[in-house]
Amino acid sequence: MSVWEKLTSLPREVVMGLVIIAMLIPALSPLGLPLMTGQMSQDWYDTIEALPEGSVILFDIGYGSGGYPSLGPGTIAAFHQIFENDLKLVIMATALEGTLMYPLVMAAVQPESNYGAVYGEDYVFIGYIAGTQTAMAGVLGDLHELVTNDYQGNPISGMPLMDNVGGADDFAIVAYVTTSGDVAEGWVYQAYSQYNRDVLGGTLSMMTTSIKPYYDSGQLLGIMDGVKGAADLEFLTGHPGDAIVSSDILTFTQTLVLIFIAVGNISWFMQKQEGSG
Amino acid sequence: MVSMDPSIWIAAFFTIAATSYAFRDNVVFKFAEYTFIGVAAGHQIVMGIKNIRDYGWTKIMEGQIIYVLVFVLGIMLYARFHREYYWMYRFPIAFLVGNGVGISIRAAIHSDFIVQVAQTASTPLIGGGAMGTINAIITFVGAVTAIFHFIFTQENLHEGTLGYIPKIGRWLMLLAFGASFGNTIMSRFGMYQGRIIFLLRDWLQLV
Repeated sequence: MSVWEKLTSLPREVVMGLVIIAMLIPALSPLGLPLMTGQMSQDWYDTIEALPEGSVILFDIGYGSGGYPSLGPGTIAAFHQIFENDLKLVIMATALEGTLMYPLVMAAVQPESNYGAVYGEDYVFIGYIAGTQTAMAGVLGDLHELVTNDYQGNPISGMPLMDNVGGADDFAIVAYVTTSGDVAEGWVYQAYSQYNRDVLGGTLSMMTTSIKPYYDSGQLLGIMDGVKGAADLEFLTGHPGDAIVSSDILTFTQTLVLIFIAVGNISWFMQKQEGSG
Repeated sequence: MVSMDPSIWIAAFFTIAATSYAFRDNVVFKFAEYTFIGVAAGHQIVMGIKNIRDYGWTKIMEGQIIYVLVFVLGIMLYARFHREYYWMYRFPIAFLVGNGVGISIRAAIHSDFIVQVAQTASTPLIGGGAMGTINAIITFVGAVTAIFHFIFTQENLHEGTLGYIPKIGRWLMLLAFGASFGNTIMSRFGMYQGRIIFLLRDWLQLV
């Protein structure tokens, strides 16, 4: 067996082992590689910055535990910016596990102790609502008709924030962070097309190519592109967290993947040449 | 100093157990897999019951009798498990499909078709600096050639000199698929590196 054949038939245990080692090295000893802020994240940040104090944002936590490592840090950075700018938040979940991610995000942001925010006045969590676009249409159409209690079962009617929010017209912007393509498109359909609201979208990197046409056509004002977008937002908001650490890991690991791809291709051509020779 | 929190240890165990599949399928991975399925199913049932209570039962208790219809439709979904009355499940399915299509179709046409066509047509080919011009030209060429690629009614559009146009479209689409694949790899690593940070920071407390 030639060297090229050996290289193309590396056992997957070896490949996986190398990938894990490539993740461990920058995690144990951060390389501090430079971060170039992307335009999509910059637009997300600028859109929130431009909102007048007291504006209400509808924010959808549309991911579960699988998406948390990629999207959680970005949500935390976004919430820091929102509370810092004295904006109000109505939080909902279009993902079933979103209700489990909400406390993780809030534990990191700590709006009460860090920003003096008060539940019911500055933010409310209305929980998971089934139906994806039906849920979106319901919340934007007549929120009080659809939702009577928050996630903990408290009536929303007596809450100062919710008394001023009835539907789409009361939201300055709709923002979502999701692992679901249906949710990513759904908010554009319902919030932008149906109710003419400004929309910000956050997705896994693999979904970015699908939702980028909405950004290019002005239907999304900004995109948080997975870990990269989250790292950008952490940098822009001045709240460094897991995403900036992750950027080092991703850069290092993906360089290894590029090497694998190059070696695989060279081996394939060399074997072909040896075969024909 | 390793964490003394039992919940961190449980999370660490399941992270390592799930990772072990990358090397070989094994009994520890199976245990983690079945546990996850059980927990996820349990959570789903609880959330399902909460949804029925919050968005159905509470409304009926408030006197909105129309919500009884929703319960009837929901129960009819289970008719599919009955040999004789299985046909009844078609009514709630028809309702769900009609409702879903009705809610999304207008906005989908607007967002995915009208706005996209208008934006592509209204973008000037020259302007916005060198990169803006290059981007606009790529978008224009990509849109036209990709549309050409999917015109199957005229065979002669895929032959001779004209045949280069759909071929360019195909190559540009392949480039887009490549970008998608690269992003997919980044997403998968993005998901896993979060667990690496968890293991090193929260469990082993090395960083």
